[in-house]
Amino acid sequence: MISSQSSGSADPEDTGPSRAFGLLHEKVRRWIWDQRWQELHDIQEQAIPLILEGERDVILAAATAGGKTEAAFLPICTKLVDAPRPSIQALYIGPLRALINDQFQRLELLCRDLAIPVHRWHGDVPQGRKRAVLQQPEGILLITPESLEALYVLHGLRVPTLFRDLAYVVIDELHAYPGSERGRQLQSLLHRLELALHRRVRRVGLSATLGDMAMSASFLRPQEHADVAVVVSRAAGQEIQLLLKGYREGPLDPALRPGDGDDTEGDESLSRFAIADHLFGTLRGEHNLVFANSRTNVEWYADRLRVRSEAARVPNEFFPHHGSLARELREHVEERLKEQATPTTVVSTSTLEMGIDIGAVKSIAQIGCPPSVASLRQRLGRSGRRRGDPAILRLYVAERGIDPNTLPQDALRIQLVQTVAMVQLLLAGWCEPPARKALHPSTLVQQLLSIIAQHGAVSAADAWRALCDGGPFAGVDQSMFAMILQTLGKHDLLTQLGDGTLTLGLAGERLVGHYTFYAAFQTPEEWSLVAPNAILGTLPVLHPFSEGAYLIFAGRRWKVTSVEEERRTLHVVPSGAGLPPSFAGMGAVIHERVREEMRRVYLADDLPAFLDREARSLLAEGRESFHRLRLDSSDVIDHGGDTILFPWAGDTTVSTLTLLAKAAALDALEDGLSVTVRDATPARFLERMRTFTREGLPAPTELATGMANLRREKFDLYLPTEALIADCAARYLDLDGAERVLARLLGSASQR
Amino acid sequence: MKDAQTIRPRERDAVLQSLRAGVVPRQGQHLIQVGRAAEVKALLAEIERIADGGSGFRLVIGEYGAGKTFFLYLVRSIALEKKLVTMHADLGPDRRLHASGGQARSLFTELTRNLATRAKPDGGALPSIIERFVTSALQDAGTRGLSVAKVIQERMVSLSELVAGYDFAAVVHAYWKGHEDGNETLKGDAVRWLRGEFTTKTDARAALGVRTIIDDANVYDALKLLARFVRLAGYGGLLVCLDELVNLYKLPSTQARSANYEQILRMLNDCFQGAAVGLGLVLGGTPEFLLDPRKGLYSYEALKSRLAENSFAAPGLVDFTGPTIRLTSLTPEDLYVLLSRIRHVYAGGDKSRYLVSDEGIQAFMNHCSQRIGDAYFRTPRSTVKHYVDLLAVLEQNPHTTWQEQLGHVEIQQERNPDLVPPEEEGAPGDDPTRGAGATPKAGGDDDQLAKFRLG
Repeated sequence: MISSQSSGSADPEDTGPSRAFGLLHEKVRRWIWDQRWQELHDIQEQAIPLILEGERDVILAAATAGGKTEAAFLPICTKLVDAPRPSIQALYIGPLRALINDQFQRLELLCRDLAIPVHRWHGDVPQGRKRAVLQQPEGILLITPESLEALYVLHGLRVPTLFRDLAYVVIDELHAYPGSERGRQLQSLLHRLELALHRRVRRVGLSATLGDMAMSASFLRPQEHADVAVVVSRAAGQEIQLLLKGYREGPLDPALRPGDGDDTEGDESLSRFAIADHLFGTLRGEHNLVFANSRTNVEWYADRLRVRSEAARVPNEFFPHHGSLARELREHVEERLKEQATPTTVVSTSTLEMGIDIGAVKSIAQIGCPPSVASLRQRLGRSGRRRGDPAILRLYVAERGIDPNTLPQDALRIQLVQTVAMVQLLLAGWCEPPARKALHPSTLVQQLLSIIAQHGAVSAADAWRALCDGGPFAGVDQSMFAMILQTLGKHDLLTQLGDGTLTLGLAGERLVGHYTFYAAFQTPEEWSLVAPNAILGTLPVLHPFSEGAYLIFAGRRWKVTSVEEERRTLHVVPSGAGLPPSFAGMGAVIHERVREEMRRVYLADDLPAFLDREARSLLAEGRESFHRLRLDSSDVIDHGGDTILFPWAGDTTVSTLTLLAKAAALDALEDGLSVTVRDATPARFLERMRTFTREGLPAPTELATGMANLRREKFDLYLPTEALIADCAARYLDLDGAERVLARLLGSASQR
Repeated sequence: MKDAQTIRPRERDAVLQSLRAGVVPRQGQHLIQVGRAAEVKALLAEIERIADGGSGFRLVIGEYGAGKTFFLYLVRSIALEKKLVTMHADLGPDRRLHASGGQARSLFTELTRNLATRAKPDGGALPSIIERFVTSALQDAGTRGLSVAKVIQERMVSLSELVAGYDFAAVVHAYWKGHEDGNETLKGDAVRWLRGEFTTKTDARAALGVRTIIDDANVYDALKLLARFVRLAGYGGLLVCLDELVNLYKLPSTQARSANYEQILRMLNDCFQGAAVGLGLVLGGTPEFLLDPRKGLYSYEALKSRLAENSFAAPGLVDFTGPTIRLTSLTPEDLYVLLSRIRHVYAGGDKSRYLVSDEGIQAFMNHCSQRIGDAYFRTPRSTVKHYVDLLAVLEQNPHTTWQEQLGHVEIQQERNPDLVPPEEEGAPGDDPTRGAGATPKAGGDDDQLAKFRLG
């Protein structure tokens, strides 16, 4: 196992008495003496004057266990210590209950000597404690976004008094929010807090990501992001231990492939057994998380590991966790992990990536290519939470054997190369920026209902101004908002009073009255795939399909004939296009930067240290194929009368190119990173695409109109199709990207 | 007629100040009363019945801006003249008839804070009522040669038979003891108990030796006790005015709404069956609060059948004896009369001091109508507010004319102040002299949602 640890320590020149230390309150300084700290961390030195002086919002970025919490709270406590007020004075928002419990204990130790009350508020906190806070608000409150939402809904009128003298909002794990429904919800909650208080409240973001700080700043304070002070720790990062294991299948026997109904996944069986054996041997006796990308895989590995335990006559410590398991089963597993009493390894889909408390785990295993760098970072963040523990990540990637019929894409070893690229980007501190253009209409519905519950009734104009006009849903204009309101009215979520204000309808009351309302996100649902005479299985559907689209399942290529949204079913027929590439994306949206990094990995010749022997040999094979296919000099190859296009661009661009090719009457299939255009030579393909440069590209909403299964987020089912298409076009289509790729292709073609 | 009567300066200023603040005046309502003769007559009869030891229950239903609040104030002032004690409060998310988190008790506290008599029309009359009760008991004891305790006990018999009546009587008794012993703390505690200000039974027991307090569960019972008590103190009865009942409609759960509607049913049953003595209830609400079959009072079957309007009272025919009184919205003619009255009040009843001509009033109405359309009839509050502002400018700047000033009157939709972004604050048109250019984001773009209707 290879360790990667960034070097660095406190500035050697800095030996004089610390200015920051001097700024702290005497009692806070005494507390630091009592802790026997030798010196303040670098981040604390920088943060203390920024937070104590001036009015700017601040982002503190340092690796886990880098002293961020103290960097924020030493100065905040300095402000609070001699100025008690009958109001919450500092609000801490953390994404996980367990994290809040941890921070609560740490802050209590600090605040006990300072006589600053510290409260926590989340789903596990008894009602009596919450009532006490409402009756006598003071000091610091630690809360989750969901509980803050509930506070607004249930005690909306108390918000202005409860937070009257609020001086700081601290947002922990800031990096976990941008781009998600939950992130948009948090932005809206912060915005609504300031509306209720009629003033701006300083925000302090704590981030474990050292990547794109401008993005974090614009998340923290969208209107004035240029004014946010960013402090990045120069000190040592957390140790990460990494291993990527490669597996190679035997040559594929087409006769064994689908239709036999037994094995419905693309993974080849032999490597699965080998991976399961390795997991069994390494993970037993500790708390671990294993991420397998689909429910079918989760069930297979959990079952296989249980069988292995029984065969070895040891108690089973391996349990599955995914969205279609009964809630009691899931909670049982979560409890077991949280209690930390008996060793437990949970095999899960993305359900355990965020949001649910499971305490600290020893290591993370990722089977197959991770869906994104951001998600890999989240998963990794589950490990090594305790000070001094390394974060441990093992990745397992299996590639198909090569025979004369192997497709060019398979020979490229795309899964392995993509995994390598993602890990390298992770180590470089990069992760995907959020899809900022997304409208998040689902979360808008939640926030609208919440604001109505908070105030009893609001006028349409007030609601739009509060949420959209310069607020968190700035992409939604008045006419879109009016259309959304109409649809919500039809679903009885809203009714209108005689004075024009909107209040909750009966269905709206039921929705808001249920405790599940407070979360903005839901785990992605899996859809059933139904062929004319067989049910093929389920797969997580993260982006929309249109009828006539192609998809890969069970090692075959299928054409979607119809989409049943209510029943979450895709009807498919075999497309008869022969074998697909073994890896065509896992439904997640791959970012352009990942594809660029992949191309760099192909062009480079070094072998990263975290690869095992088999992985190294697979990488070498992939590079050899890359050069054999001349992909270093051209992005289009002729494959037996078909054209395969390698745009080396993000999925939104690849989807857009596929839709454009279809719009140009070509039979185009999206294969993940490539697009296969059937019965068209590269020359013909390029000729067809040239028409777009002459006539201009169609509008994104026009291209997105054919897409079905648009309703994927929590409150999407209450929204008008137009809003979903606009959101979908903003999220999944990138016409500028497509235009750039076309310009590059056509430019190099004309040179030739 | 009214135009002829002189107007006392104190009344004039009170009325104008209230109108400028956008609230209903607490006194002098009669000066600006428009129409509603039949409705007032119906309530007058009801007030007399209450003063006679009877009971009454009325729902005053009207659209936003129809003048419900004004009407309730008027009824209250009449009740005070007729020697009734009155209480009033607006319902709200934190003030309900039934609750579990203190919201019903908070309604009761608000009601007792606004407890008014003819001598104390602005509220806070509870201590003087108790004092009056004790004084008359002292006199009675003197003339009959009995002990005061005995007289009080005798008088309180009728209370003890009611729910929580025993403790109510005990608290009044405690007040007397405090009175006799010069124990101000005890007196204060007794008043606090009667105001519903004790929040725990433990505290009440320590202070007054009673086992119960007025809390969420027995607010209506406490009102019934209070009604009998004020009669014992020598008043005609108690009139309780509750406004903004639409807030019950807005409660976000069926369960909470039903529990509140059930209290209304109890009130209605008691009043119709004569179980409440000397108690009148007048409740103000909007049509949807009454009629909506899914969330309104009509969603509660027992209430629907009792409140159903007289089916013979077809359009054009009236019946003011039923439990529901419908207030129709002001017509443009009504509004014209109202603005004329205000002009008259402003001039202190002196026609020679009128600041605008009849023609000027008409022009002002046209201007408002152009600015915000027919909606201005539905919100006479802001129209009146701006009208009084205009009169103020004209009075203090004699060199200007209404023709010049009319263009500066900026009428805007009302906005929820808790939803206004901080940087925009102060922008909503509080200042009538502000030119249109100085008001950001007004008009134009916002119109689409300002007139939004659910289809």
